[in-house]
Amino acid sequence: MLVLVSVTLITFDERSGTHHITSGLKSVAHDVFSPLTSGVNDILRPIGDFFAGSVNYGSLQSENQQLQATIGRLRLQLNQTAALREQVRELDSLEHLPYLGSLPIVTAQMTQFDLSNFDADITLDKGRSSGVLVGMPVVGAGGLVGQVVQASHGTAIVQLITDSRSSVGVSFGPNNQTYATATGQGPGNPLSVQYIPAQTHLHKGEFMYTNGLADGEFPPNIPVGRLHSFKATVGSGAMTVTMTPVADLDELAYVDVVQWEPKL
Amino acid sequence: MRGKEAPRALLVLLVVLVLQLTVVLDIRIGGAHPDLILGLAIAAGLAGGTERGAIVGFLSGLALDLFLTTPFGLSALVGTGVGVAAGQLVAAGVDRTNWLFVPGVAALGSAIGVIMFAVLGAVLGQPDTLTVGLGAAVGVVTVVNGILGYLLVRACNWAFGQERSGSAWQGPLVAGDRH
Repeated sequence: MLVLVSVTLITFDERSGTHHITSGLKSVAHDVFSPLTSGVNDILRPIGDFFAGSVNYGSLQSENQQLQATIGRLRLQLNQTAALREQVRELDSLEHLPYLGSLPIVTAQMTQFDLSNFDADITLDKGRSSGVLVGMPVVGAGGLVGQVVQASHGTAIVQLITDSRSSVGVSFGPNNQTYATATGQGPGNPLSVQYIPAQTHLHKGEFMYTNGLADGEFPPNIPVGRLHSFKATVGSGAMTVTMTPVADLDELAYVDVVQWEPKL
Repeated sequence: MRGKEAPRALLVLLVVLVLQLTVVLDIRIGGAHPDLILGLAIAAGLAGGTERGAIVGFLSGLALDLFLTTPFGLSALVGTGVGVAAGQLVAAGVDRTNWLFVPGVAALGSAIGVIMFAVLGAVLGQPDTLTVGLGAAVGVVTVVNGILGYLLVRACNWAFGQERSGSAWQGPLVAGDRH
């Protein structure tokens, strides 16, 4: 009987017509549990951090110094590129192209990471009440992080670009004129980049950006990843290409939700 | 479930769910984290038999499904399956006097549960569940539930009003046991 109920629930969830019922239930559960899990984390995490900190004090101090040096270098680069970014923004506005820097963002803190062993997702402490809606892109740590797939009143779940259900339209090469699709292959694995013709000239380490296509699911020109490996597949017109995300998805603490809704 | 069983079982489920969504998520070995919800379903089957195992497995899985992006009902299906299987094992009269019985069943049941979840996930559109991280997930969930199996069975014994059992791992006779 319960097996039958479970199968029925799965069928309901998979059907788009009844999906909103399960989404509503999930949203309520998140709102009810969020203060509870947050409270437990507030109590238990400092205890764990205290022990971890006392054991690793020396390495943390060294890491802190390295981070300070990195912040200094990044501040310098930021100041140098400010003028260039302004020029790009002006050019994009002339072309009527959306520019990431011109879009409103909501900064959110990550509260949970990979709820299931088979998903690549994170939970944020901001939800619909802060303007975070399903479909909005999430950026952080220098690149695209993922997309909001569930939003309750006070929390949101973001599907990372490494999740096997994630698919991002990318562009690269001279003038970003070559288009492809980057698909996740699970947590910790490089993304698979598909539909690249066999004769395409590729460079290891070259950047790939969102292309703004696919009904504008993502704004264009957000760095997604860097080319990791490529090889021609015998007997195929396409190449086998992988890409590593620009953003360090294992070390996310704060991210920005871009208030951009796909034109579906 | 009768009398005080339902509220006690719900309390145990709530505590395990909160632990799963907080402390357990911070424990990562090889990229995988433990799954206490699966362990609870198996423990309920061992402590309470087939019917209680099915109910607790279903409800705990359903509660977890509320927080996952995988298809709603998938964890409930797996929880029901392992809860029933553990209950059937007890009902079949398997020798439970050996101290390895509970950890062994918890570990084996967990491995089967994780693989079942991955296979069903692949059938429902996540083909990578069968390859990416499956080994680590099976390993971590199996070992942790094997270690905590005895503790989870004790919690279920308390929930089912069987806390006065003579032997911690042997447990009391449950509905469906051979007398």
